[in-house]
Amino acid sequence: MESPTGYMTILLRIFALVLIISGAALLFERMAYAYADPGTGLLAVQAAGSALVATGWYLRRKIYSLFRQSTAKDEPEKLLDEGSVEDSRHP
Amino acid sequence: MSAPLEHPDLELSLPVGNHDPQLTFRDPAGQLRLTARCALRRIHPAAEKATLEFLASPLRASLEKSGDLIPSKIANAAEHACIAPGELWLEHPRVEPISYPWEWTAPQWRAAAELTLRIASEAISSGWTLKDATPLNVLFAGARPVLVDVLSFERRDPCSTVWLAYGQFVRTFLLPLVARKHLSWPLQGTLFVRDGYEPDLIYKALGPWKRFNPDLLDVVTLAALLGRPGKTGRGSQKHLSASNPELAAHILQKRIARLGKQIRGTEKGQNRSEWSEYTQSAAHYQAADARDKQKFVRNALQLHRPSRVLDIGANTGTYSLMAAEADAEVVALDADETALEALWTVASRREEPITTLVANIARPTPAAGWKNLEHLSLLDRLSGRFDMVLMLAVVHHLILREQLPLAHIAELCALLTRRWLLLEWVPPSDPMFQEWLRGRDDLYGHLTEEDLQTAFAPFFTAVDRNELANGRVLFLFARIPNDQSAADPAENEGVEASST
Repeated sequence: MESPTGYMTILLRIFALVLIISGAALLFERMAYAYADPGTGLLAVQAAGSALVATGWYLRRKIYSLFRQSTAKDEPEKLLDEGSVEDSRHP
Repeated sequence: MSAPLEHPDLELSLPVGNHDPQLTFRDPAGQLRLTARCALRRIHPAAEKATLEFLASPLRASLEKSGDLIPSKIANAAEHACIAPGELWLEHPRVEPISYPWEWTAPQWRAAAELTLRIASEAISSGWTLKDATPLNVLFAGARPVLVDVLSFERRDPCSTVWLAYGQFVRTFLLPLVARKHLSWPLQGTLFVRDGYEPDLIYKALGPWKRFNPDLLDVVTLAALLGRPGKTGRGSQKHLSASNPELAAHILQKRIARLGKQIRGTEKGQNRSEWSEYTQSAAHYQAADARDKQKFVRNALQLHRPSRVLDIGANTGTYSLMAAEADAEVVALDADETALEALWTVASRREEPITTLVANIARPTPAAGWKNLEHLSLLDRLSGRFDMVLMLAVVHHLILREQLPLAHIAELCALLTRRWLLLEWVPPSDPMFQEWLRGRDDLYGHLTEEDLQTAFAPFFTAVDRNELANGRVLFLFARIPNDQSAADPAENEGVEASST
């Protein structure tokens, strides 16, 4: 029987794993050459944090681009409307 | 800043204490040596190109202009005997006194941490990064933190999403503050750890619920769990990069912002200590007595215009601020961190030239680091550096609580001041003396003002005396010049170990 702390620990590990896997789709690995000791756990925390922020960044961009597309679709109609006004001035 | 040496060649031959200092030796890019006039930094050949590139960068100009980074210039070989032809050396001004993180108050730690994060953020925006991030790279010029290690900067891989100094920042800045807040570990304990606290150490010490505190979840709990042996293999040598430099910079800035939030989250509520409200609650002082005392001190400061003052037992800084008003650079020393926090907060806000050090003059900070030569002891840093030393209502603490003989106290004062000593004598009839006497009347109850004068006579001459209505006596002593000038610590302002 796991204690509440044990369950939380397992959940946290799963959470970190999911973050790293999802982040790997957006980020790739390179060798690190450090002067100060980067720490193993703290380096993994950075990787998880990077994945989280990167996921948000891409999602936000995707959402913005959706809005931009719909705005771009609206614009030709708007121009056409303006054009028709011009046309009515110069029949 | 110290007076310049008349003979620059002396800078290599003057010892400190009984040992030659071990200057910085960990950074492969360079080494530091300190002289009385300046700090000299040798740049190793492999790092010369990168250093010169940083010196020419707008980032360096911007940081120096804001006062966040110590100014640098290429050292002139003709002025320093230690520079061999073809070597690159940088020259920086001295920041006095050297203060170590284990002598800072918690707000000073936070100010140093925020300075480091501010510089890291600006560096990232400019295509640079900090390769290390430790409080030992920061000194306090007055109440203001300054980054003193110009070799901390290196070019950033535009696609890297990892700040390699993040781990060091967490271990050396954040976790000591976390341990102080959540575990009541004193910051002074960092004297014994070179590279801060490992997350696993804090994780084990925290209770199960505190491990899930949102501010500690990543830097303590996740870091401890993911950092255990066997959890990471070769992967620990690799880090993630983004294909998009804009995304990489965004990730790094987010990380810096989170660290800033976590540092600010280590603030505790208003603290009180045994001495933090002493000035307001000192019942043994009538208003007239306090006025007379302040008048005596102010007159001495105005008359003798000391350029450097050491205030021992500074408490919340009434007399340190008075000395700063008289244009002195002040070092305020007290063992009570809470009282000194109040002084640093005022000095920082008013940009006063007051450096606060949490230390007990009766048990001064020892030398530390590799072979005990990396970090100087408190007395090595303070001896013979001051034109005036204030010891106001301190001597009875040293006698009764530290059980020090008067002759030893006089000797210490003579070691610290070059010229003046302003001392308050608290007689055995005083309520504060009686409170700590605790049945030791035979040992201390007989002490008189004459005993004080006799003990101080080998080193000092009393030039002014003022007895207050409450029976306390203020003395202004002048130090008798030491004929043995070779042994005079004031003359031994040579090479010193550095904090970086």
